Amino acid sequence: MSDKKSSDLPLGSEDAAENELWDTLGSIESTEPSTALRQGFYQKLEQASRPTLMEKLRALLGFSGNAGWLTATACVLLGIGAGQLLDESGGNGTDRLAALEQNVSMLNRTLILDRLENDSAGKRLRGVMDAAFVAGDDAEIARALLQRATEDRVHSVRAAAIDALGPQIGTPAIGKTIMESIVQTDSPLVQLALIDLVLRNGSQQQVDQLLKLAEDGLLFPDLSRHVLTSLKRDVA
Amino acid sequence: MRAVTDEQLIQWVADGDPSCLATLFERHHRGVYQFCLQITRHPAQSEDLVQDVFLKILRKAKTFRGEGSFKAWMFNIARNVALDHVRKNKRQSNEAIDDAVIDQHLADNRSAEQAAAGSQKMQLVMQALAKLPAAAQEVIWLGRFEFDSYEELGHALACSAGTARVRMHRAMALLNSTYTSINGAPIDV
Repeated sequence: MSDKKSSDLPLGSEDAAENELWDTLGSIESTEPSTALRQGFYQKLEQASRPTLMEKLRALLGFSGNAGWLTATACVLLGIGAGQLLDESGGNGTDRLAALEQNVSMLNRTLILDRLENDSAGKRLRGVMDAAFVAGDDAEIARALLQRATEDRVHSVRAAAIDALGPQIGTPAIGKTIMESIVQTDSPLVQLALIDLVLRNGSQQQVDQLLKLAEDGLLFPDLSRHVLTSLKRDVA
Repeated sequence: MRAVTDEQLIQWVADGDPSCLATLFERHHRGVYQFCLQITRHPAQSEDLVQDVFLKILRKAKTFRGEGSFKAWMFNIARNVALDHVRKNKRQSNEAIDDAVIDQHLADNRSAEQAAAGSQKMQLVMQALAKLPAAAQEVIWLGRFEFDSYEELGHALACSAGTARVRMHRAMALLNSTYTSINGAPIDV
């Protein structure tokens, strides 16, 4: 359902049971579609748009091939055209510029989400780096980053994702998952990265929780010592 | 910077700029997905339907007259696409809803918190809603989650505001009786 879930129309029924049903319906939690939806849509949109643009361009330039330089020329021409359009159209151009900016921003977002789910570890790592800049303003990207931090099969990707999540540790859901992951991870390297994240950016409550984990021996032995030493040093 | 309206964006799409459809997609694909999921009770099929809806919007952009909002027009397309799909797919018939599919749908729609709290009332309401005919489900869903007025709901359902109101009250009465029959008692008030 859309963001404005609460702005339903008034039912105005005289039947109390129907009103109760109406209210109960309002508590239904929405289900997020998978990222495959975005991927599929943008691919189809590109396919649907491409022939028209290319046909126009071919007609304009009198070429029938599909060489790469032709596409580059198209981009230059379209860029010049868009620039002129914006210059000439005043207020309408400003709206259009806003829409284009919004489109670019959304395509960038889609690219980041795709990269975070890519089969190639290198691309996922690139996705993590890009996501670090926007995770604070975008809950979906923050969630995808958290998934990389806790589930990625490649340790370097997990470690980079943990690092990128640093500023978000104060968000309740992310903070909670990070604390849970400290105990659940089977990798000392990842546990070390999580511990350092909490020591660096965590709240006092999270640091206390970490100290308890170390004292209870729930961390890798060397890392328990690392926590105790770090905290003692801080106190000193 | 103020947001460009949906109506302006669809106008630009109609003028030959399909890239503006991306903005409309980002604004509305979740709502359309939830609606399709309610009708089909199948996540993957619903995702395919959402893509079909937006590509249909691309093809039909020139026919948007601005008599109602873009959103009402979009949901009118979405309900046609979803109901066509249901009609074509015999297995999705409302007379023979597979309990396993309903359970899956219920699981999909419950958050961990709801599940932990054992929200039985919510489960029963979802179960009752899933048993209604598609025409009743769509009016309840769109009225509850997508539109603020019967006039807009009417645009989406291709009928007048008065007819939309009547359909809503009939659908809610049907939901009430279905809930009572599943639960063995009326809903606690």
